[in-house]
Amino acid sequence: MKRKSHRTIASQDERKSLVLVGNPNVGKSVIFGLLTGQYVTVSNYPGTTVEIAQGKATLNRKKYVVTDTPGANNLLPMSEDERVTRDILLYRSHEHIIQIADAKNLKRALLLTLQLLEAKIPFVLVLNMMDEARDRGIKIDHRRLAKILGVKVIPTVAIRRQGITAVIHSLDHRSSGSFQIRYSKLIEDGVNELERLLPEAHLSKRSLALMILGGDESLTPWLQQNLDKRQIAKIEAIRQSIQAKSSLSLSYLISKERLDHAEDILNEVYTSEPPITTSWKAYLGKITMHSVWGVPILLAVLYLIYLFVGKFGAGTVVDFLEEVVFGKYINPGATQLAERILPIPLVKDFLVGEYGVITMALSYGFAIILPIVGTFFIAFSLLEDCGYLPRLAVMVNRIFRVIGLNGKAVLPMVLGLGCDTMATMTARILETRKERIIVTLLLALGIPCSAQLGVILGMVASISPLATLLWAGVVIAVIVIVGYLAAKVIPGESSDFLLELPPIRVPQFFNILNKTMARIEWYLKEVVPLFILATAILFIFDKLHILTTLQRLASPVVQSFLGLPAKATDAFLIGFLRRDYGAAGLYTLARDGLLNPNQIVVALITITLFVPCFANLLMIIKERGWKTAAWMALFIFPFSFLVGGLVNMALHIFRITL
Amino acid sequence: MLNRRDEKQPGLRYRWGKRAQELSSQQIDDLLEEIWLRKEENKESISDLLELTKEKDADITLRIMAKKGLIFFEGEKIKFQEEGQKRAQQIIRRHRLAECLLYNIFDVSKRQMETSACHFEHILSVEVTDSICTFLGHPPLCPHNKPIPRGSCCAKFQTEIKPLVKPLTELRIGEKGQIVFINPKHHDHFDRLSTFGVVPGSQVLLHQRHPSYVIKCGETELAMEEKLAREIYVKHVFT
Repeated sequence: MKRKSHRTIASQDERKSLVLVGNPNVGKSVIFGLLTGQYVTVSNYPGTTVEIAQGKATLNRKKYVVTDTPGANNLLPMSEDERVTRDILLYRSHEHIIQIADAKNLKRALLLTLQLLEAKIPFVLVLNMMDEARDRGIKIDHRRLAKILGVKVIPTVAIRRQGITAVIHSLDHRSSGSFQIRYSKLIEDGVNELERLLPEAHLSKRSLALMILGGDESLTPWLQQNLDKRQIAKIEAIRQSIQAKSSLSLSYLISKERLDHAEDILNEVYTSEPPITTSWKAYLGKITMHSVWGVPILLAVLYLIYLFVGKFGAGTVVDFLEEVVFGKYINPGATQLAERILPIPLVKDFLVGEYGVITMALSYGFAIILPIVGTFFIAFSLLEDCGYLPRLAVMVNRIFRVIGLNGKAVLPMVLGLGCDTMATMTARILETRKERIIVTLLLALGIPCSAQLGVILGMVASISPLATLLWAGVVIAVIVIVGYLAAKVIPGESSDFLLELPPIRVPQFFNILNKTMARIEWYLKEVVPLFILATAILFIFDKLHILTTLQRLASPVVQSFLGLPAKATDAFLIGFLRRDYGAAGLYTLARDGLLNPNQIVVALITITLFVPCFANLLMIIKERGWKTAAWMALFIFPFSFLVGGLVNMALHIFRITL
Repeated sequence: MLNRRDEKQPGLRYRWGKRAQELSSQQIDDLLEEIWLRKEENKESISDLLELTKEKDADITLRIMAKKGLIFFEGEKIKFQEEGQKRAQQIIRRHRLAECLLYNIFDVSKRQMETSACHFEHILSVEVTDSICTFLGHPPLCPHNKPIPRGSCCAKFQTEIKPLVKPLTELRIGEKGQIVFINPKHHDHFDRLSTFGVVPGSQVLLHQRHPSYVIKCGETELAMEEKLAREIYVKHVFT
């Protein structure tokens, strides 16, 4: 999912532009899918839908390009998502805007509606999730609301496709509404002064003036494009003089006045008679966060995920794909084919040899990684859609505070158990740079991805429960200690924990399917090529006998400090390029009786903590930059060996045999 | 009258006339306050006070206060007479309530708080003091964790008057409050909260405290940490 800047979205031939805006969690992406007939990741965990999706649609016999914006609560941007949404509206003119609102949270939606009215752009208001509103005894007089605002208001239940036809019909008629609010004198004075200096734009001067008064610094690039320095200085001076006359921040005042007006409108159209009985969904919503009952529920959920991904995905499906599909058909078939048509042994080896593209990279990529990651994505999408994920964040927030993060970090940490590379990208949802670095570090250091997790757990559980505890205990302790220290050492602030909790919903099958497919598609495009590259590097190393040289260089450390046989070095080297290979390599050694139980545990601990795999490292460089990535690698590499060595020493000193 | 000489206390100088003329009630108040503070630290002797005070000619002022029947001396120790005790108590009460107001509500720095509170204590009337006390919910301790002497309003607290405004954290589970003001430590808290509709005038319901605070505002459920919840001040809503 590549990030597209609004500036590079080219207008596509004579297609008109249709933009969807709205608060997060209102069903924008569902409606986008219904209009365009194609899906993008329907993610309602705040911040995950950062990318902008575009699709073509033909509605009312007109051709459109439909743009789905990130969830925005305010056009006076307070987050990157909101800035992107505002910029999309500012930098281009659009044929039509659809504001999608959560019917039961109409007041918050009206905050946006009032700003759209101020901006004087044509839009219609869709009241989505009417079913949930009805469940809560909420009634909205949408005709009255339409009269007050001067735009069309259409109630819908998007996931059941109710009301969508009416929405499409409403696009025939363009209206930018008639309702305008007047602010207090101080603000109106500021607006009048600023309007005189502002140029023409796709958004009304009034709305721009209000953004400037609200202290919107992200507007500066646009101002610089359209005005000279002197005028910009004047604008800033006006803003400061208005702010000086108020003891509260202007952005707060403006929002407050908007909300007051929204309340007035609400009182005319919105009635709420809560039913006496609590629905089972509301009950679930409460109990999943309960300080006592929430914990067993959490453990149960984790266990179910383990069963689904670990046993079914990593066990049944992988076995089938590996042994049957690849083992019986593809690998031998490809090998035979290569024998016949490829005379050059080098090329043959490259494709089907020990480190061959087909025999190693593709078979592992599709037979082993894909089922595990696929089942993981399914489980994850289920958690997202039913609304449990934010509640999970609530449960773990206190624990995460210890390591300098907050509960929101549970998302990348849990994703990391599926694939660290993808989780590193998801670190974007954390608000401060410090938190993103800590999460990236902990992911790279201590969270084992599903590829190796299965092998590791299998190995360590077969020794003894004590061994499992030791492995898990050391890894968790390392995560906590490193996280705690990192939080002290890394400069910057932690963000505050403020999270919206969506209601518990029954997940829709098609949503889950589409989300999972989108994620798998991303995975195949972004990560699998890296695996192929890594295998190719291994191939070259093998041919040039570099592996043996490296083995000789590294073995002093491996043998004396960690107490492992020389051959284990291979596993570590390979583990850098392919995580699962590293674990599998150790597995082979253990199976062949070359490692005693103590050594197995030491080796597994070291490889769990070992440097991130190649793909992950590239992602870290991409997300956090060269310098940060270098620091992390320089820390993790010796640190993992240090911990392994210490465990080894401890086992010797205390004469423990596992 | 000032020429009467009673028992001479060792260590005190006796230069009456000029000093007594210059002495204002504010200076007496300040010294009464210091005597109280020293008593809290278990330092009751004259020498302790004179050592630690920054007041000029404190020894003379002490003598005059004894003359006025505010304090008396018992050997080396200073003790309050009834009137002195009452007066000192009031000053301490005003001073510490002012500190609470400045520090907890207006978020003033500790240094500013101390200088301002020193002025406040001389100008607040009993009525205003009691109003501040009620407004703050009859706080028992000042920001330095020292006890605030009770007033008449505090006794009524048990029976009639409920504190007007209290932080969200003091609602009971399931209780509703109407937001009166928000006192954020960072101004962007204001903005983020207002986006969710958490603004003065809105009603909030407290769902739970552990493991995180969860409140409901309108149809929006929010999770937050205690330190953010403490910044939201509500008054009780009677449904």
